[in-house]
Amino acid sequence: MNLVVNGDAESGPGGSAEPVTAVRGWKVVQGAPALVPYSLGGGYPTASDPGPERRGSRFFSGGNSPRTALSQDIPLPWSGPAGRRAVDAGRVRYAVTAWLGGYAGQEDGARLSVEFRDDQGTPVALSVLGPVSAAERGGRTGLVRCEAEALVPPGARSARVLLVFTRSGGGTSNDGYADAVSLTLSAAGGHR
Amino acid sequence: MTVNRRDLLKAAAAAGALNLAWPLATGLSPAQAREAAEKLGAVYDRAPFTLGVASGDPQPHSVVLWTRLAPEPLAAEQDLPEVVEVAWVVAKDAGLRRVVARGTAPASATLGHSVHVPVDGLAPGRTYWYAFTALGRTSRVGRTRTAPRGKVAKVTFAAANCQAFHDGYYAAHRGIAREDVDFVVHLGDYIYEHGQVGGVPEAHVRDHDGPEILTLADYRKRHALYKGDASLRAAHAAHPWFLTWDDHEVVNDYSGTGGGAPFMKRRAAAYQAWFEHMPHRDSFGGSALPDPEIHRVRRWGDLLELTVLDLRSHRSAQNLPDGTILGAEQKAWLKKTVDRAPDSWHVWANSIMLSQLRGRPGGSYMFTDQWDGFLAERKEVLGHVHASGLEDLVVVTGDWHSAFVDDIRTDFDTPDSPLVGTEFTAHSVTSGAYSPEWNAKNGPLMGKANPHLKYFEGNRYGYDVYEVTPERFSAHMRVIGDRRDPNSPVSTLTTFHVDRGKTGSYEDDATKASPAQYRRD
Repeated sequence: MNLVVNGDAESGPGGSAEPVTAVRGWKVVQGAPALVPYSLGGGYPTASDPGPERRGSRFFSGGNSPRTALSQDIPLPWSGPAGRRAVDAGRVRYAVTAWLGGYAGQEDGARLSVEFRDDQGTPVALSVLGPVSAAERGGRTGLVRCEAEALVPPGARSARVLLVFTRSGGGTSNDGYADAVSLTLSAAGGHR
Repeated sequence: MTVNRRDLLKAAAAAGALNLAWPLATGLSPAQAREAAEKLGAVYDRAPFTLGVASGDPQPHSVVLWTRLAPEPLAAEQDLPEVVEVAWVVAKDAGLRRVVARGTAPASATLGHSVHVPVDGLAPGRTYWYAFTALGRTSRVGRTRTAPRGKVAKVTFAAANCQAFHDGYYAAHRGIAREDVDFVVHLGDYIYEHGQVGGVPEAHVRDHDGPEILTLADYRKRHALYKGDASLRAAHAAHPWFLTWDDHEVVNDYSGTGGGAPFMKRRAAAYQAWFEHMPHRDSFGGSALPDPEIHRVRRWGDLLELTVLDLRSHRSAQNLPDGTILGAEQKAWLKKTVDRAPDSWHVWANSIMLSQLRGRPGGSYMFTDQWDGFLAERKEVLGHVHASGLEDLVVVTGDWHSAFVDDIRTDFDTPDSPLVGTEFTAHSVTSGAYSPEWNAKNGPLMGKANPHLKYFEGNRYGYDVYEVTPERFSAHMRVIGDRRDPNSPVSTLTTFHVDRGKTGSYEDDATKASPAQYRRD
């Protein structure tokens, strides 16, 4: 189960290149993102550009701010196969994935990170995805799949997901793009 | 002087073997490189606690403990389980018998097997000792101290900055480790990102481990290399530290914003590695790794309010009419901090020079990477300090590799504009300064060009110790004799004082005759 709420930008306000002040499931920490439809055109990623296979109708962009940041605090489950007891026994792994990208040869970018925290809020694990460079996109507008996985450290109680869009150089539009943000837990692993 | 080590370096150089021996030559495994490094003087603690222990961000009831498991400190990947349980203990005695707190923390490979333990429930103003245990081994014992509450008669702290590994041994940190201080402030340039400099041993005592660093693995190795100096580890183990950073923790003169994706990726790697190697308390604010939150305000009882600034993460490019060195949020926070300031000494930990600095009369600013590149914001912040009536402001600064004492005025081009504080810019630990000839020529020129500049000395290396009482703030400039000598003795070059309730500094009569390249009489 994806623990990230609205990681696919499909819910809530948006639907154009205009920045929004609130995003369902996310806290807008800085700037203002846009939730852009793939059908918008005008140089934005389209349904035929590289991106998630099942990409829905919208993706995140950085809007018009030089730096736009969204965060989401996710409590880890109390019980179940990926619950606290399993986490503390070192039997839960996490996988974080996101499609991250940008525009043509520009170096605007999107970065997704997940920080696991203990009950005092201290970081105990970290995975960082992106930002994806123009070279990594082959100089094409589009999004690239990024992923990481690791053991959830014993004592972890929450995860903070941070999605940051950065504009390079001048211009107005922050063309860091993100879609299909996902964080899942699985009870398959143990200490390696 | 450690003759044996220099002889070894010279012998290695003469034999053409230096590139093989120091420290991470191509073809050497991390273990072999470590062995070679150790033969040449980079001593590590016993594995897995090779990089030592540290504490930081002391508060009345809490301090953060740090260590990192790195059995092979110069390896990109550690041969360790994905997560290792690390036990920690805090006691009232160095023998760790009178235990007041203990617990465990997970060291994850995703964070370089580092642990950051905020220990709560401690008593204010107390010295504690601590250690870690993992994989059947116990670390060295570190010493730390909590902040006091209420009425405080005295606080003493040290400030260090700019410690290029290749430019010298850390005799200054050896001195800091031996000082009787309550805490240490590091003002940045803890590591340098560039590649090897060569010229060992004649021009440099040692060298970096490889080319310019770009990736998380690179930055981890570089931090581990720097912690191969035993004196740095000793200073960490002896006192709690507050930390800010400057540019070389990432790359020279960078702006934290506006970079393209490749740079932002590099910056994130550098920031993560910095966190992994520092006793830094994070995630109390709205951000998260890999963007540590540096700025904070801390109090040492009723005597001192310490404001730690981050002049890198949020800055714009230099020399823009609407440029920012603080970023909008930190600036608003700083102004609020000024508005709410208690009646105490106010110290800003400021990585890079606040005061205006022209190179010669009528000349341009020497470096606009410092606050001189952010004129409108400096004017706004210092104007706010004046308008709010804040008194007893002392700014402690690094970056310049030389010592300066400045009057802080709201408008540096108007010598009779309000005087709002004093800036002490400390000598560097090792990073190279200008030549004695340059200093002799330019010290007087800078003095003429900057009416607020009171003192300049650029021929020495060391650190500052600040002694603060309700009546007086004293800055003791500690200097070492020779940065090529890891055991170089420390002496006090001179002392400046600021009296409580009176803006402006004055030099101690006893040291007024000490060498300097500029002194406003």
